[in-house]
Amino acid sequence: MRAMFSQWKAELLRTGRDRRFFFLTLGMPIAFYLIFINQQGGDAKIGGTFWGEYFMVSMAAFGIVGSSVNTFGVRLAAERKSGWVRLLRTTPLSSVGYALAKTFTQLTLSLFITVVIFMVAHFSQGVSLTPSRWLEILLWLWLGSLPFAALGVLIGMAGNAAQVLGTLVYLVLSMLGGLWTPVQALPQTMQEIARWMPTYHFARPAWNLLTGHAVQWSDIVILFAYSLLFISLAALVQKRVDSRPES
Amino acid sequence: MDTVVEMIDAAKEFGGKQAVRGVSLAVARGSAVALLGPNGAGKTTSIAMMLGLLRPTHGQVRLFGGDPGSPRQHARMGVMLQSVSVPDRLTVAETVNLFRGFYPAPLPAERLLTAAGLKDDARTLANRLSGGKMRRLQFALALAGDPEALFLDEPTVGMDVTSRRQFWDELRGFVASGKTLLLTTHDLQEADMVADRVIVMNEGKVVADDTPERIKSEFGGRQISFVAGSGVDLAKLDPLPEVLSVQTAGRRVTVRTTDSDALLRRLIHGEWDISDIQVTGAGLEDAFVRLTTEMGNRA
Repeated sequence: MRAMFSQWKAELLRTGRDRRFFFLTLGMPIAFYLIFINQQGGDAKIGGTFWGEYFMVSMAAFGIVGSSVNTFGVRLAAERKSGWVRLLRTTPLSSVGYALAKTFTQLTLSLFITVVIFMVAHFSQGVSLTPSRWLEILLWLWLGSLPFAALGVLIGMAGNAAQVLGTLVYLVLSMLGGLWTPVQALPQTMQEIARWMPTYHFARPAWNLLTGHAVQWSDIVILFAYSLLFISLAALVQKRVDSRPES
Repeated sequence: MDTVVEMIDAAKEFGGKQAVRGVSLAVARGSAVALLGPNGAGKTTSIAMMLGLLRPTHGQVRLFGGDPGSPRQHARMGVMLQSVSVPDRLTVAETVNLFRGFYPAPLPAERLLTAAGLKDDARTLANRLSGGKMRRLQFALALAGDPEALFLDEPTVGMDVTSRRQFWDELRGFVASGKTLLLTTHDLQEADMVADRVIVMNEGKVVADDTPERIKSEFGGRQISFVAGSGVDLAKLDPLPEVLSVQTAGRRVTVRTTDSDALLRRLIHGEWDISDIQVTGAGLEDAFVRLTTEMGNRA
């Protein structure tokens, strides 16, 4: 417990000093929000709700995916490459403890990103929801971010390719999942593709919550399946790495 | 015997290549052991198995009598590995405190920074340290949990002379307080500085296991070679106290010696009829090759 807390604290400290995190992971969704809101107007109707609210959820999801897949994955790859993870394996912080500490770090950051985006939407567009609705959406985005943490772990195993791969996966998943352009506005084939994206099933329940619809089981099942896939792949890669000689 | 780490016929194979071939050894509590050998001898692989980083493909490894992979055993040891760099965006003090947080009863941060000679660098970003200081920081991390046993893989690589001196002083203090040390090195002199036992490895096997004094005379010796005149009785060479072995090839004689200076003095003063004298260091690499072939012949 103590070891995990120590790791969690250090991770947050590092993130707090990471310019890349603030400019890209947090800055991009904020900038997108402010730019695209003004193009459409926040009062435009979409999916039974207003564009200002709808796009707020999209950008919170976009930020979370960026933090998990891009920032987290790239940092993980660096730690593995530098031998730091090897050294940690000789300390009382177990592999499980390390993974949990990293997960809690990601959850903390997801919470932070979501709250910041909510505040930007509230103060720039006057987006206002009932307290329970704010909380529901926050909670869903928070827990729904876990599959993306698992994807970050997988990308963290890509070694030197992690930086490029992370950025690519981050942007492609966000675009295809309808986080940039609403799915309804996409051509038919793109809509079909979106239905298979984890990002779509991450954001859709939150969009639905805006209109008072409950989270659907199908979204949870699909996200769970994706988590399982990412974790299994990561375990598989880890096994191959273990059977290779040092250095 | 109270055993800290034990290898029982342990072997490790990587894709058909044998890195360690059936090593058995036990390290007693309170001993200071140097694992000596040339690059590729299997030292790093052995230590990785002791620490639970690698599982042996054959045989057993036990750490504090238990599974080397278990975090419970890890609370009692400190480790320095090769080619590790610390995370970015943390200062030296923060990195030390991160590690202190992993252990149930850590040493005070002040004490660790002093031991590593990094007091003035406490607020420097850790990944900006020079190579030598980075190594010293890793030493501080190894000491963070107030360990019973230290495992150091080639600890002085990248350290400058001053760093080394302070490092050896610290290590001697650590050993003197009754704790256990296991380090790998390819430098016999380093092994001699702190160890009370030297285990020599080559090609994945233990080829010698003895006190540093004995290993030194076996490995650290020099060679004197000369052309002997016709009047020289070579049978008189063998009994001389400094002589380890004598080889002849025609009139060219090669003597392995524990003390080349003393032997040379004796030969000159004794007015031996010898010419074309050469003194060469019997390098450790040569010694390893010789020892392994000798062992091979004996088997």
